[in-house]
Parts: sequence; structure tokens; C-alpha cells
Amino acid sequence: MLIEQLINGLTLGSIYVVVALGYTLVFGVLNIVNMGHGEIFMFGAFMGVIVTNSLGLPLYVAFLVAIIVTGILGYFLERFALRPLRGKEGVSHLAPLISTIGVSIFLENAAHHFFGAGNQPFRTSFSELNITIGSTTVYYVQILIFVIAILLMFGLTFWLSKTKAGKALRASAENLAVASLLGVNTKRVITQTVIIASAMGGIAGILVGIAFNSVNPQMGLSFGLKGLAIIILGGLGNVRGAMAGGLILGLSETFLVAYGNSGYRDAIAFIAIIVILIVRPQGLFGTSTSKSKG
Amino acid sequence: MLSELINPYYLQVATFILLNIILGVSIYITLGTGQLSLGHAGFMSIGAYTSAILTLNYNVPLVIGIIIAAVFTGFIGVLIGFPALRLQGVYLAIATLGFGEVIRVLFINWEGLTNGAIGIRGIPHLGREILSFSESLGFSPGMIGLKNNQFVSLAVFLVLLIISIGVIWFFIRQSNSRIGRAFASIKMDEEASEAMGINITYYKILAFGQGALLAGFAGALYAHLTAYISPSDFGYHRAVEILIFAIFGGSEVIWGPIFGAIFLSTMPEFLRVISEYRFMIYGALLVLMMAFRPQGLIDTNVVNWIKRPRLKKKEGKHGTGNKKDK
Amino acid sequence: MVLEIKKISKNFGGIQALTDVSFSIEQGEVLGLIGPNGAGKTTMFNMITAMFPPSSGEIGFLGQSLSGLKPHEITKRGICRTFQNIRLFSELTVRENVMVGNHCRLTTGVLQSVFRTKYQKQEEENVLRNSDEILEIVGLSEFGQTIAKNLSYGQQRRLEIARALASRPQLLLLDEPAAGMNEKETNDLFDLIKKIQALNITILLIEHDMPLVMRICSRIVVLNFGKKIAEGTPSSIQNNKEVIEAYLGVEEEDELA
Ligand SMILES: Nc1ncnc2c1ncn2[C@@H]1O[C@H](COP(=O)(O)OP(=O)(O)OP(=O)(O)O)[C@@H](O)[C@H]1O
Ligand SMILES: [Mg+2]
Repeated sequence: MLIEQLINGLTLGSIYVVVALGYTLVFGVLNIVNMGHGEIFMFGAFMGVIVTNSLGLPLYVAFLVAIIVTGILGYFLERFALRPLRGKEGVSHLAPLISTIGVSIFLENAAHHFFGAGNQPFRTSFSELNITIGSTTVYYVQILIFVIAILLMFGLTFWLSKTKAGKALRASAENLAVASLLGVNTKRVITQTVIIASAMGGIAGILVGIAFNSVNPQMGLSFGLKGLAIIILGGLGNVRGAMAGGLILGLSETFLVAYGNSGYRDAIAFIAIIVILIVRPQGLFGTSTSKSKG
Repeated sequence: MLSELINPYYLQVATFILLNIILGVSIYITLGTGQLSLGHAGFMSIGAYTSAILTLNYNVPLVIGIIIAAVFTGFIGVLIGFPALRLQGVYLAIATLGFGEVIRVLFINWEGLTNGAIGIRGIPHLGREILSFSESLGFSPGMIGLKNNQFVSLAVFLVLLIISIGVIWFFIRQSNSRIGRAFASIKMDEEASEAMGINITYYKILAFGQGALLAGFAGALYAHLTAYISPSDFGYHRAVEILIFAIFGGSEVIWGPIFGAIFLSTMPEFLRVISEYRFMIYGALLVLMMAFRPQGLIDTNVVNWIKRPRLKKKEGKHGTGNKKDK
Repeated sequence: MVLEIKKISKNFGGIQALTDVSFSIEQGEVLGLIGPNGAGKTTMFNMITAMFPPSSGEIGFLGQSLSGLKPHEITKRGICRTFQNIRLFSELTVRENVMVGNHCRLTTGVLQSVFRTKYQKQEEENVLRNSDEILEIVGLSEFGQTIAKNLSYGQQRRLEIARALASRPQLLLLDEPAAGMNEKETNDLFDLIKKIQALNITILLIEHDMPLVMRICSRIVVLNFGKKIAEGTPSSIQNNKEVIEAYLGVEEEDELA
């Protein structure tokens, strides 16, 4: 029982990590919280349902379609909601937040119109397959989710630290102006970052769809909020913090459901946000930074 | 004669526009110190549930219920405002969004008190209370040639009109004062304001608390206008809707959110398409406004331009919300 | 003694911006605080006005310690500053900027403001009058209704001073008020500082314009790499070898760059 819950918690946590990484990447480079990320993620989940259930195609095609569609959505988000605000005189720091809120509400309602408001099941051919070791049951789906999440985390870390594009991205995350002086094409890096973050959201969407066997237009908001909670937990823009934060949230939710009141499961994330913000605003793993004055 | 002029449906629409104006002003107050709150739907729901439960379960008179609800919500706002203060804009927005969701989850799960997701029915209706009150004074709508439902909607509309005018008056006066100047300077540059001797902690909490109080007040009114509330009335959509009144109309002067609330609540009445795609349009509007007119449609220049003709009459009202001088 | 700086140090995550700096300011004087770029002058202002806490050391004002006070409390005690990179409330009018500066000397609260009590009206009248007087002093009278961001650069610098004056400081901190000014504007600034001094306000002045500093300051403190390297009368500073080296060193680098 305990081990099963642990596995469930890790599975859930690793999905949360993938959701949160999307926020982290964009925040790291642009210093912007992309409020539209949750809804892009939700579109990814719907792509999964459409490709596998409606069209009857295999799961890997679903992943491909989700990556492409969410990547395009990410491009549009950057092009229309972020780029016009960049470098403009006197733009409040709230402006990108508000315009991405606009994207989120737009996409959510677009999903209502396209896909309907209700829940759609997300069944895969191996949904019920599992192995039992002793008294512990592990579903293949869980293994799949876990493996993909781990691959994404390592892939991202590798890409950031070893590839040229990743290094340009990290330079930009340090300081956009300096990076641009050093000859980094910041416009391209930014677009790339948002697209990659969105595509990761798309993958996460499918993973969530499979794990919960349910997809609906409102999931963008609830999972998006959890993603936000995680990056606050882990420190904004901190990749490792996002990983730890995601696992912590996944585990605590699972244990609350198993041993407590499941109705309040969705509240954990937000209570965590508020507590963290009061006690340690820089996040569990962030370091405090000083602003410049004078 | 009078009875032919009064159409209960139009009055109802107008009443809800007035309610939206109050909500628009509530977010404007908070934005006026540079704080973005996505928790106003949450505050609204606290006000609505407080007043509904007090009047239904504890037989508190409606007016008292509404007042307690507003004050209580303002108090919660101050509690939330304190930690939120330490946060830059982005964190505040997320924290308040989270707060709104926690409140919603709480109201869904606290079934003993709130009846859960089903919501609360049979909340004392403002119009009917007014009717029975006037009947107890020996007045009946027939005496001025009105049907009961006409009288009810007219009375409710008038009450809301008076309340809205009072609210607007209050905040115009406030913004034309030391308080308003402090709010405006904090919005423009917090650190410089602090260095100029403004206690930014106090003023940011004041603004946040006032915004919450007003949202709670509007929520309480909402409960007694519709007689039915459920947690889904106060979700993310509502928070964004309140926000867009100020973003579309403008958050520099109080006329901005008022205009935003009137315009955005009227349009769907004229065009069904708008009503169907309302939130997609809202979303697109938010993006467009940020790109092309981040201060909203009505800003200081527009107000000055409108007021130009009677330029020299008044001198010396100095503040920020409403520049009628110069 | 108006202000006493006692062994102030400030470390920004590895950067030692100030090291054990001590000096004091006498009533009514204009004290110059000079030094090459990055010497720590602005940081010293940030310490005095509590924008950041010092890493160590203490600051005394009129015999009382300023430790633990918030910036707005310091302003209320009678210290106000201008900013090197102008930070006016750019969308407010010139007059409103000055009125905001007056904030900490006013007391009306929300209800008084909304119901316009007699006291509040009186107070608002006083604010208007005060602001106009201060605008007169800095020579911006005719711009009262102009939006601050539409002023010229030199005018904005003077409005910064006016806004600070409105808080009725006993000690005024000026951070490079002459930066970006032409010769005539600098001369006007000289007169303005003299006028302020005549109002019995003590001044701590950061400035790179050496002729101005030499002309107006009674004493000068020199910082270099966060340390005080000299203190004395303008003529003694002009002839101080270490000071000349500090500045020459910088000039050489400038020429190479
Ligand atoms: N908020 C901060 N965070 C980190 N480092 C800072 C901060 N403020 C100042 N510094 C550093 O402290 C040092 C001193 O800076 P300061 O602004 O006090 O110099 P200054 O003497 O005012 O120079 P200038 O003449 O160019 O205005 C510099 O190396 C600067 O980079
Ligand atoms: Mg400086």
C-alpha cells in the first residue's frame, strides 16, 4: 500500500515537473510568468485524445501531433502576446502577465467550442496492463510516464548545458541585453524558448490525459496553477527547484488523497504557494537577489 | 403611463451593469497601487456566501448581512494583503489566483455550511424585501400604477444606482486627496515613493483591503439579486471578467473601469454572437489592449479632452483619479 | 553635527561597495562626496536613506541612530534625497510631484479626505501654497501643470530637488544634480543650492562636475573603491596626491577604452 502510493506520487510528481519546467524555461529567459502555458498544455492533451481515440492512431503519433500543435500555439503566443510588449517604452511589468492571461482565457474557451465542455476519456491500448510484484501493482502507463518525464528532464538539462542553442539560452537567461551584445540572436532564442516550453507542455498534456484518463478544457487552469505553485516552491526560473517542487507536490497530494480528505487535494498547491510566499519568498531552492536602486 | 415605460428585463440588465461597475471600481482601486489581483472573484464569493448564510441561517436583516459581509471580506483582504505585499507584481497575481481557487475549493467541500457544489438557494431577494417592507408601510405598487414585478425591478435598480453613485463619489474624492496622490505615486515608482516619505506598506494594504471590501460588497449584493449562488459563479472566468473591465476601460482614472463595465456588459445584449464567444473576445481584447493601449481606452488625456470646454471654472483639485482642474 | 556616518560597510554578494567609511556633516554646510565611477557614492546615499541596510556600521542623525528605520521614516525624520537616474512620478504633473513630496508632513486620512472636513481643506490649501512656493524657489513656477515627463532634462533635475524639498528636510542629499546640464543650467543650479543653504538646510552633494564642487562645498569627502581616501577643504583636496591619482587612473583607462 505504502509503496503503491509512493509510486503513484512519483508518477504524478514527474508529470507536474514537466508542466512546471515549461513555466521555468520561459521565466528563466524572459522573466515572465506565462499564464497561457496551462491552456497550451490542455490543447496537447486534447490532441492526444483526438489522435488516439477519434482517429485510432498509435500513441507516438499523438505525441508528435501534440508537440507540433502546442509548438505552433507557443509561437503564436510569443508572436502576439509577448513580442509586441518587448522593448516598448513604459510598459508595466504586469503587461505580459495580463496579455498571457488573455491567451489563457481565449484558448480555454476555444477548447470549449472545438472539443465541448465535458470530460473526454483517454484510453490507450495498454491502460489496464500492469505487473504485480509481491503486493504492489504497477501499471505500464505509470512506467511510461515516469520514463518520459525523466527523459525530458535529462534531455532538457543536457540541451541547456551542452548544446550551442542551450548555451545561448542560458546566456540570455543571465541577462538579455548582455547576451545580445555578445552576439546571441535573442529574438530567436526567445521564440525558441517559448516553443520548446510549449511543446513540453503538450507532452505533459498527453501524460496527464493518460494518467487520469480524462481530458477537459478546465484542466489547463487547475494544472497550470499547480505548475505555478511548483515554480514558486522551487524558486522562479530554477530548473532543479522545479523538479524537486514537482515531486514534493505530487507526493503530498497522493498521500493526502490516500490518507486524508481528497476534496482538498487541489488546495494543497495553493496553500503551499501562500505559505512559501510568506516564509520564503525566493522559494525553497532559490537564493535571494537584491534589486538595484539609486 | 409609467407602467408602459418600465420594462423589468431592461431594468435587470441595467442593475447588473451597475453591479459590474462596482466590481470594476474594486479592481481599479487595487490596480491603482500597481497591484494585480486575480482574487477578486474569491473576495466576491466570500461576500456572497457570508451574507447569504447570515440572512438565511441566522435571520440577520439583509442590510446588516451585506454590511457584515463587506467588512469581513475587507478584513480577509487585509490578511491576504500582508504576505502579498512582500511580493512583486507577478507573485501577487499568482498568490491571489491561488487564493481564489482555495476559496472555491473550500466552498465546494464545506458542505455543511455552503451546500457544496450545488450552491445555496432561496437567499432573501433584495427586491422582494423592499416590496414587503413598503407593503408593511401600507404602500402597494398599484398605488403608482405599477405591477409588482415592475416595482421590484425599478426599486432594485434605483437602490443599486444610489449605491454605485455613492461608491464612485467616495473614490473620486479619495483620489483627489493625499491618499490618491500616494496611490498614484506608488503605482509609478514604489521606491521613489518610499524615499519621498510614503508608507508604502500602509497604502498598498489599504488599497488591497478596499478593493476586497468592495468586491465582497458586490458579491453580497449579487447573492441578494440572484437569490442563488454556487461556487462556479466565482471562478477564474469571473476574476478575468472583473479584471478586463479595468484593462479595457482603463485603470488610470475611475471612469475607465466604469466605461469598461458598461460597454462590456451591454455589448452581449445587442449582439448574440458576442455573448456566445464572450470569453474568447475577452481574451483577445486583453492581448490587444496590452499591445496597443496598455492604459485602457479611457486615460487622463481622454478625460481632460472631454472636460476641456468648462476648463477654467474650477481650480485647485489636486489628486490623480480625476483631473478635472487645469 | 547633523549626520554622523560611523564605519559603514556594504557588501553586495561579493562586491565590496563600501568599506569602513566614516565622516560627519555639520549644520548648514555643503559637504561634497566625490570619487570615480563605482566608488560607492550612491551606495552611501542608499545606506543613509535605508534603501538597503548596511552590512555593518551605524548612522546617526541629530544625535539619534537611524538603524532599523524604514525609508519613509527616515524622510519623516528630516532626510530626503534626489536620484542620480531621475525617478520622478512621470505621469503626474509637476505640481503633483511636489505635493507627493509633502506627503509625510500631512495627516488627513481616508474619511477626512472623502468627507472633506474643514481641517482637510485647510491642509490641502496649505499643500498647494507650499508647492507653489517651492516651485518658485527652483524656478519651475510656470510649469506647475505640465506632466513631469514633458520637462527638459535640466528641469526634471530641478523638479527632483523641489520634490525632495517639499518633505521639509533638514538634510538634503543630492545625487549628481548637475549631470547632463549645460553651463547655464549648472550656474542656475549653483544659485539654487545657495538658496537652499540659505533656508538653513544642510546638503550632502554627490557631483562629478569638479568646478561646481570646488566652488560650492565647504568640505569634501573622497571615496575610491568604497574607501574614504581623503577629506578636507576643496583646496586641500585639489592638491591631494592620492585623489589626483585616483582620478588620473580613471582618466587613463577612459583614454584607452
Ligand atoms: N544593488 C546593487 N547590487 C549589486 N551591486 C551594486 C548595487 N548597487 C551598487 N552596486 C555596486 O557597488 C559599487 C558602487 O556603486 P555606486 O552606484 O555606489 O557607485 P557611484 O560611486 O555612485 O558611481 P557613479 O559615479 O557611477 O554613480 C559598484 O561596483 C556597483 O556595481
Ligand atoms: Mg552614483
